[in-house]
Amino acid sequence: MAFIEISGLQKSFGKLEVLKDVSFTVEKGDVVAVIGSSGSGKSTMLRCLINLETVGGGSIAIEDRYLVKDGKYPAKKEIKQITSKMGMVFQQFNLFPHLSVRTNLEMPVRLTQKADKKELSAQCEEMLQKVGLLDKIDAYPSQLSGGQKQRVAIARALMLNPDIMLFFLFTSALDPELTGEVLSVMKKLAEEHMTMIVVTHEMAFAREAANKVIFMDGGKILEAGTPDEIFNHPKYPRTAEFLRSTL
Amino acid sequence: MDYILQILGPMLQGALVTTALFAIVIVLSLPFGFGITMLARCRFRPLAWLARGFIYIIRGTPLLLQLLFIYFGLPLIPGIGQYLVFDRFTAACVGFVLNYAAYFAEIFRGGLLAIDKGQYEAAQVLGLSHPQTFFRVIIPQMLRVALPALSNESVTLVKDTSLLYAVSVPEILHAAKTAVNRDVTIVPFFVAAVIYLVMNTVLTLLFKYIEKKFNFEREM
Ligand SMILES: Nc1ncnc2c1ncn2[C@@H]1O[C@H](COP(=O)(O)OP(=O)(O)OP(=O)(O)O)[C@@H](O)[C@H]1O
Ligand SMILES: [Mg+2]
Repeated sequence: MAFIEISGLQKSFGKLEVLKDVSFTVEKGDVVAVIGSSGSGKSTMLRCLINLETVGGGSIAIEDRYLVKDGKYPAKKEIKQITSKMGMVFQQFNLFPHLSVRTNLEMPVRLTQKADKKELSAQCEEMLQKVGLLDKIDAYPSQLSGGQKQRVAIARALMLNPDIMLFFLFTSALDPELTGEVLSVMKKLAEEHMTMIVVTHEMAFAREAANKVIFMDGGKILEAGTPDEIFNHPKYPRTAEFLRSTL
Repeated sequence: MDYILQILGPMLQGALVTTALFAIVIVLSLPFGFGITMLARCRFRPLAWLARGFIYIIRGTPLLLQLLFIYFGLPLIPGIGQYLVFDRFTAACVGFVLNYAAYFAEIFRGGLLAIDKGQYEAAQVLGLSHPQTFFRVIIPQMLRVALPALSNESVTLVKDTSLLYAVSVPEILHAAKTAVNRDVTIVPFFVAAVIYLVMNTVLTLLFKYIEKKFNFEREM
């Protein structure tokens, strides 16, 4: 079985069918970029993987354990154990605004694991160093720029030692210089063989940092392959059209 | 000046009653109001309706009517009325606590609505349990949003304590009115006004301090 195996995923919001039979696999260390036009179901798919949405049918297996099998979920405890292997960086980052950067990073670990205070503090500093924000350790989220918030959100997710990172990477709204720093942090993670699934509009990232690109269209995966296959030799006119529109 | 000192005794005694009522109402109605907020959000519909009905009735009728009802009205209910006789101060406490709990419940409800759903999602993804999410993530943010409104309500409460006059509890205003009638001078009214002002100033400063403590929206 693949590291992550998704098959026949379905999801509807009321009458609106958002995911129709989505299937793909991810190997350990893969960096998967999920691209596609607005409303194609990218975000919904990612949210299903970490149990923020309940699927209507299909299976999700992560590291040989089923988060959902043929539309049926296991016990809560099992779900929690499976999702605890994953970290997520949200589109809006969702940092806790009432806590300092340090506490944003340390609190979740303190509440969910046994942690030595000194070790925790050292780990927090190490993660902030990694995303280049050690000097912001005592700042509050409202004092950070968009790109800085995003990097704190990455560091916060990394604190729980996930095997898989799920990202929303929408950088266009951010300061281009800081975007570069976010991308370099993500490339660094890729080099460390972190398994990543990244929903993005950032074609440069998909091209350079991903080893697998998934193109979604109308709730389905129309095409999946290496960046070279998708960007240079798309099989479907729909894919080519989408790529042209992003230039 | 001598006159002011002379009437100050009974008036400060009145202020003590006011302060006692204020303290009792704040201490009881904040948690009670929060409980009502939670009930109003409860998935079990009848309980939610009960909580919303309570808020609707209390907020839609005058506090004075509620006080009169509890002190004079309840004992007249056939059958159970005899068990619902309170002394004046207790009746006033019950009325104020119920009334302020309803207002606080609305303030808390607004505070909870102001919290982005992404906060709950982040907490879930980070593995926090529901109680942990509630106490560590939601409540601090809710309080931050609710504090200015809570501060306003508290100042209103200090002034509302003058309604004790209606059920003849000897508070500040009662002492002032007695002195005005007896000595035919308006000085006691001014003294009463100053006492209220002092109490509200202290209260407002206290809330400013708490708000500062909770102010995490610091800018660069
Ligand atoms: N909670 C929801 N309730 C109802 N409809 C929803 C909900 N979430 C998403 N949708 C709908 O599902 C469809 C897919 O949304 P989704 O956010 O997954 O698209 P997306 O590919 O991420 O788009 P974008 O690139 O704009 O982020 C859209 O039509 C959207 O309106
Ligand atoms: Mg999206």
